[in-house]
Amino acid sequence: MNTASELIIDVGLLRRIVAGDEAAFTILYRRKHPAIYRFALHMSGNASIAEDVTQEVFMTLIRDAKRFDPARGTVSSFLFGVARNQVLKRWEQNRRLVPLPDDGDHTESGMGRNGSYEKIDSSVSAYRNGNGNGTYPAGYDEFASRETIGRVRHAIGTLPENYREVVVLCELEEMSYEEAASALDCPVGTVRSRLHRARTMLLEKLREPQRVRRASAVGE
Amino acid sequence: MSDEAIRMTCKEFEEILNDLDRAGMPEGALREQALAHAESCGSCARLLTETESLGFALQAISAEDSDRRAPAHVEAALLQAFRQEKKASPHPRIWWQMAALATAAAVLLALGFSLRDHLWMGPNPPDANVIPTSPSGQPVETGMGSPSVLSADAVAPEFGSGFVALPYADDAGSMEGAAVVRVALSRSALATLGVPVVDATDTNEVPADLIVSVDGTPQAIRLVSEVTTN
Repeated sequence: MNTASELIIDVGLLRRIVAGDEAAFTILYRRKHPAIYRFALHMSGNASIAEDVTQEVFMTLIRDAKRFDPARGTVSSFLFGVARNQVLKRWEQNRRLVPLPDDGDHTESGMGRNGSYEKIDSSVSAYRNGNGNGTYPAGYDEFASRETIGRVRHAIGTLPENYREVVVLCELEEMSYEEAASALDCPVGTVRSRLHRARTMLLEKLREPQRVRRASAVGE
Repeated sequence: MSDEAIRMTCKEFEEILNDLDRAGMPEGALREQALAHAESCGSCARLLTETESLGFALQAISAEDSDRRAPAHVEAALLQAFRQEKKASPHPRIWWQMAALATAAAVLLALGFSLRDHLWMGPNPPDANVIPTSPSGQPVETGMGSPSVLSADAVAPEFGSGFVALPYADDAGSMEGAAVVRVALSRSALATLGVPVVDATDTNEVPADLIVSVDGTPQAIRLVSEVTTN
């Protein structure tokens, strides 16, 4: 479904929500909440905070759906914007939301309910997603080993928040620069340059173990 | 390799590198130039491989996480909140609009009467019914002309009840720059503002203070009982 038809459906659902249509709210929630939840999860590193943020985002919709202005972006952008503010608010309350244990084992990690990145069973079949269905893109086996994926996931969690949010929106949620700019309330150029910088930072982080290995080999 | 491809510099290559795997970006010719440049430059070829590897890893993470969603109890809690919210305010929009219109009409009427008194009865009418005051109850300058501004001494001793927020009032934080305006309102106008009145058919006007926000919207009201001094 393209963005235009998606927007028309979303705006129609919003109108029905304002008029008190519960079914419309349920449909919109089910369409939009997974991405909002994942965004909050990636940004906070904590499942229970991600649940709270998701709930707050849709409570905002229940109380004040009229705040959405189609001229300023899509419904998704609006919801991501609210989610971002909620995450920032929680950051203000507790700046230690994302404890990142640097135990050197970055093979596979996921965000756990206890506030830290937890290991996920590394026996999860390669080439399959977490639920055992769906496949990775072609070329996965050649370029993205499970080790690389684990290290990239960990590296995303260590990025400064303004870089992490563009990676989550543009790479993991596959939003366009324009949609991300609307969600983050910044110019498209800022999104583009932050993403460029974020990817450079990720590459640098991925090179670090290689440098360490080389240095230790030279030392021996 | 074409001359154009050779002409692309490493810096230019790095600038468009991250867009190479994005749908529709960059344009075909530029993309071809970039790939051709990577073939001719060892360090850019290595960078391209690393970037592709990162891109695949990001896609894999996206696929891995695609089934993550909030637990069912979040949806249940939201649906319950939705029902409660709609039950609490079945027709909020109509009610707010009616209340706002009624208040605006009442304020306009009061201001109209005040202006009439000012024009017809001279510069210092003894019964001017609009007395700007500060939130503390002291009169304030409104720029409406000195005749309508009374000094604190000129205001008769009074018993003012506490302010009561009007139904559609903004939150207290948005009251910066608000002014208190003394008006005389009919009992029926008071009733539309949600102020309980004993006899709405009584034609006598009741003095009241309105807190008016910067955008001119009345936010709160208090009734004022003037004490006869003589």
